[in-house]
Amino acid sequence: MTRCEAPLDDGGERTLSRVDDPAEASIDAVIDRALAAYSALAELGEEIDDEWSYIQDLTETWRDRFETLRAGRGGEVLEAETATAIDVAINEIGRIEDPHRAIDWLSTFPQVAITALGERP
Amino acid sequence: MRFQDAARDGRAVVYAGIQADPLVSRAAELLAEADPSMRVMARAVMNGESTDRPTWVAMFPTLFGPAADAAISERAHEVLGVALDVADRGEAVRSQFRGAIVEELTARLLARRVAGAAIHRERRILFDGVRAEIHPYDVTVERGDASEAYDCKWGARGIGDDVLHQLDDARRHAEDEEARLVVALVVFDAARSCDVRLARSNAPHEGTRVVALEALDELAAR
Repeated sequence: MTRCEAPLDDGGERTLSRVDDPAEASIDAVIDRALAAYSALAELGEEIDDEWSYIQDLTETWRDRFETLRAGRGGEVLEAETATAIDVAINEIGRIEDPHRAIDWLSTFPQVAITALGERP
Repeated sequence: MRFQDAARDGRAVVYAGIQADPLVSRAAELLAEADPSMRVMARAVMNGESTDRPTWVAMFPTLFGPAADAAISERAHEVLGVALDVADRGEAVRSQFRGAIVEELTARLLARRVAGAAIHRERRILFDGVRAEIHPYDVTVERGDASEAYDCKWGARGIGDDVLHQLDDARRHAEDEEARLVVALVVFDAARSCDVRLARSNAPHEGTRVVALEALDELAAR
């Protein structure tokens, strides 16, 4: 995979870079990565017991939205900046430690990712 | 049906200070002119972990990428700047700023449709023979023939049975007095998430309008 550095972390460590490999920049691959990160975020949110059922319903709804997008455009290869955008968003939710914020981002992350993919959430 | 200023307790006084902060006004001004994708960005930034501009620029290629329209990018940079200013205020006050911004944004959008003098903040609605609700409505439109009451939420998770009951009760009490009162929730979150939250609620909400992030401009529609 060919990557070039992008200034995504002002803490001095470069954790992400542009995605230039077509295999990694396909909608299929990007959605796979997004859904894996989304599952981890949901696990964090589930620490709030009272919201467990809401989280299940919310994540099911947004997973369905991702799958609808995949069904329509799955084989498409994204522009490098679009695939990178999803990876930056994945990196962002990977930094979340507070389960309440995680629940908020269970709604926000799909909106960000789908917007990056050029569609309305 | 009558409208009344809410009591100014200690919390209200503190919150009034947040509401009066120029940052709230600036954010609402920009968000009122923003498109839905800019509003999604603002939502993400104001509750994000990162507070550096390059991260968010990279995350929104439709706004900042090489194919983005220059005028849109310029406007998006302004929205990003104000959202980062909110994020920089720190965790403790972020949520208060976010709430105040959604309220101010609601009032500004309503002002495109309704004379400013009819728009009020932090008001209670009183009905004959009915005990007054404790919590005031965030924004009201007070007109003799068709009043409106809005509660504003940052996210779908904020939609709870209490607020749904309060809004529906107000609507029904107004009907009992043969007055017209439109009740609505303004939620700075996706309609899809709001629908999930509402589907889980046992509170009556069929008569309550929900205005989600992607439909905020409908507040201004005549």
